[in-house]
Amino acid sequence: MPAVTPGLELIIFGVGVLAGGLGSLLGLAGGVFLVPFLNLGLNFSFQRAAAISLCTVIATSSSVSAARSGKQLINLRLGMLLEVATAAGSLLGGITAQLVAPTLLQKLFGLTTSVIAVMMLTRLNRRNVIIDPTASTGALGGRYFEEESGCVVGYQVKRLPLALTASFLAGNMSSLLGIGGGVIKVPVLNAWCGVPLRAAAATSAFMIGVTATAGAVIYYGRGQLAPSMAAAAVLGVQLGSWWALRFASRVPAKWLKILMAVVLIVVAMLMFTRPR
Amino acid sequence: MAGGIERTIGAVLRIGVVTSSVCLGVGLALSWLGAAALSRPLFQIGVLVLLATPVARVVVSMIEYIRERDWTFVMLTAIVLAELTASAVAALLFNRRL
Repeated sequence: MPAVTPGLELIIFGVGVLAGGLGSLLGLAGGVFLVPFLNLGLNFSFQRAAAISLCTVIATSSSVSAARSGKQLINLRLGMLLEVATAAGSLLGGITAQLVAPTLLQKLFGLTTSVIAVMMLTRLNRRNVIIDPTASTGALGGRYFEEESGCVVGYQVKRLPLALTASFLAGNMSSLLGIGGGVIKVPVLNAWCGVPLRAAAATSAFMIGVTATAGAVIYYGRGQLAPSMAAAAVLGVQLGSWWALRFASRVPAKWLKILMAVVLIVVAMLMFTRPR
Repeated sequence: MAGGIERTIGAVLRIGVVTSSVCLGVGLALSWLGAAALSRPLFQIGVLVLLATPVARVVVSMIEYIRERDWTFVMLTAIVLAELTASAVAALLFNRRL
């Protein structure tokens, strides 16, 4: 790990602003950008980079969900149910991360970012699912006010075992790689489980706080979490996502997705070719 | 349906994230001013409050579900708490081995 200096903290703060801003524009927690920068750019060990990133994930989850509470967009019951799976995955991932070689983690990260990039490119024009407002919502479904259509819409949760499996996998990747795991859960919930994109993203953002905590605690106990670096990153990410939420509507999502897919592919290639 | 619990959870998350951000921010400012002895405990408190916030959120939800006598969700939140406890235990075990 590089020496702790005010300069380094300032750099990490700046990277946090960028990662948090890009992340919230794309509906991610930003860890997918923060980890490679800390690991490849600043020579943090992979585990130390993941530990810092998980702290920013927790902060993002808490502040975003606090801001959204009361709007019924977060499906609390679905979230609490799926948390059982994400926390289990995260617990196992956090233990595994201590036992496997960092180069393996880097390859896994590269693989994950490649998949995310491909998913982003194939879902360029996808915005939402069509919802029947008269449908029954079932035990786990929900209703919320949709701004686009100006009315209350309802949805039913389908294929629960698939949602639980995706959540377990997302939790596992979260603590292994220092990301939130929303990139795995949100597309699955949206495409196969009947949850509208906004509700899926809000529910996922709500869950990743608990998921990341189960992983971060293990890194913290192992002494791999540098508190001053985490402080700089957390504050940076908070500022970045606040800024992005205020100006998000002005950015064309399509070009942003293409740009990010390219960035992620470059990250993936670096992770594969430059193991440390 | 979930209006009350959603507001309570929102309040817990807001208090947690504001408290930890203030501790981390003041800590960072103090460390840049050269007061490392003062900033170090603030960083520790800030990180611990950050890690405790989602746990507190699960505890508060569980209490709310107990009051509503929604036993399925009492059990689910209890399992999540057990998993979080297990990760703290794993952290202690790893710490011991070093």
